[in-house]
Amino acid sequence: MKMTKETLRKPFSAARVVLLAKNRALEDLPAFGIGAGILAGLNLLTIIATRRAMMNDSNGQSWAVIISIAGFFLAAAAFKGMHDGRAGTEWILLPATSLEKYTAALVFYAIIYPLVAAATATALSALLSLVELIAGGPGGRIWNPLSAGFDGWVNYATGALIFAAGSAAFRKRAFIKTVGVSVAYALACMGLLLAGMLLIRRVQGLPLSFTGSFQNEMSFSGNITPGAQRAMDVIEKIVRYALIPLFAIFYGYFRVAEKEARDEVQ
Amino acid sequence: MIHIESMTFGYGKRPLFEGLDLNLEPGTAYGLLGLNGAGKTSLLKLLAGALCPQSGTIRVFGEEPWRKKASFLADTIFVPEDPWVPAVKPSAWLDRYAVFRPAFDRERFAALSREFALEEDKLLTRYSYGQRKKFTLAAALASGARLILLDEPTNGLDIPSKSQFRRALAQSVDPNRIVIVSTHQVRDLERVIDPALIVHGGKILFRLGSDLMAERLGAAHVSELSPDVVYAEKDRVGYSALLELGHGTGADDVQAADLELVFNAAIASPDRLKTALSGAQLPPLDPADAAVREYGEKEEAQ
Repeated sequence: MKMTKETLRKPFSAARVVLLAKNRALEDLPAFGIGAGILAGLNLLTIIATRRAMMNDSNGQSWAVIISIAGFFLAAAAFKGMHDGRAGTEWILLPATSLEKYTAALVFYAIIYPLVAAATATALSALLSLVELIAGGPGGRIWNPLSAGFDGWVNYATGALIFAAGSAAFRKRAFIKTVGVSVAYALACMGLLLAGMLLIRRVQGLPLSFTGSFQNEMSFSGNITPGAQRAMDVIEKIVRYALIPLFAIFYGYFRVAEKEARDEVQ
Repeated sequence: MIHIESMTFGYGKRPLFEGLDLNLEPGTAYGLLGLNGAGKTSLLKLLAGALCPQSGTIRVFGEEPWRKKASFLADTIFVPEDPWVPAVKPSAWLDRYAVFRPAFDRERFAALSREFALEEDKLLTRYSYGQRKKFTLAAALASGARLILLDEPTNGLDIPSKSQFRRALAQSVDPNRIVIVSTHQVRDLERVIDPALIVHGGKILFRLGSDLMAERLGAAHVSELSPDVVYAEKDRVGYSALLELGHGTGADDVQAADLELVFNAAIASPDRLKTALSGAQLPPLDPADAAVREYGEKEEAQ
């Protein structure tokens, strides 16, 4: 992928996005390698001690959890350089637009990283399974990334988008702050929903009792009609698969664009 | 070319530039001189696109820098006083960062790296401050950018590197390129930068070309303040004086005025310097005048 004067004139260039994503991959590669090495080492230790690889458990989802957490940490550091007094100027003046820099980060953490991490984890899982077998253990358990399901990977991608947006918004401790803000938003939404349900109950003259089960309250103590249930499912899918990711994408982009417009003097 | 019109910029409620007008032409290495806090770095960042003017316009080769078009960013390079470098070796830097600039001249970069004695097998983050500076200067001069902005480029350079840098900078000035060098170390660069722009009080106070300075100004060590003294710095045995030429100086051994003395005169007594540059006769100078300073006396930015 080579930059030319023609590429430079384009307001959005896929070639620049590829170069930016490649740079991210190369920057994160050492951390990725160290992480994979530590996991391999820990699993080898458990094979020596118990003849079983720690992470090749019965449902194998430890791999998915580790990949997700590591991805969230990496995404939460996606725009760390942009906030740095010295590195920030370099970041801002790198010849690519804000949209290209942002797109490269999202594509990398939401799509490229999980694919590469899943492939690496599958290979590691297979290797550990073989070692297990050689060591006299059960062997034969290899993690299948597809077992996490479509929902699992979409949830990961949404999480990565949220943490990337958090990285664009917060200068320091982006991971913890993003978790805190997300939990606060979730609690506020749940509170509003619950208040709405209680209001409806009051209007309908139903008793204002809370059973302790949020799900029970949400379904009007199980008395929700199938049509209403379907509508709620659709609303939930729209919120999960469209509203939350789109909010994260646009919020993060505008924070990056704002930062690019208002760099601080060195 | 660079065209700045009625540009206003500041931080918070403090205005740094108010209604700044400036036109700069290609084929020139401009020096940007000013006191600490005068806004030199901010002006460079405004030209680079790292800052956005609050009002007015800035156009660099027809583009507005704050829009940060990729074509503009590739055509401009800014080297800060304390440059950041990634944790990679120079060859990896070329593959990862220089690729965004199609006009980057790898051969020139290699030649400059050799001249600056930069180590190829060392991570850039392990370089000393001076080495980092040399690396980023080599990258800037090889970038192929039509606008090169250098903030205090000679800070941190050792003595041989300063002369190597001067040579490389002089070679980089071509008819299509504008080079702007902000510096406090005027003696390091006064033979390379021409003209010098003096920033003070949110304006370009003076635009001093070497021809004008050579024609109208001289310097000498004098024992008394004669009427042709534009500005003087008192020392133990007399005065280091900036003199107006062409009105019959009483001093012997008049030399070319150095930029540092001219800069000090511009800040301490701008009206007197303007008069001298216009060729008019100077009014008499009193030892208590602002144009007479104790050696080493400094003034803060307004």
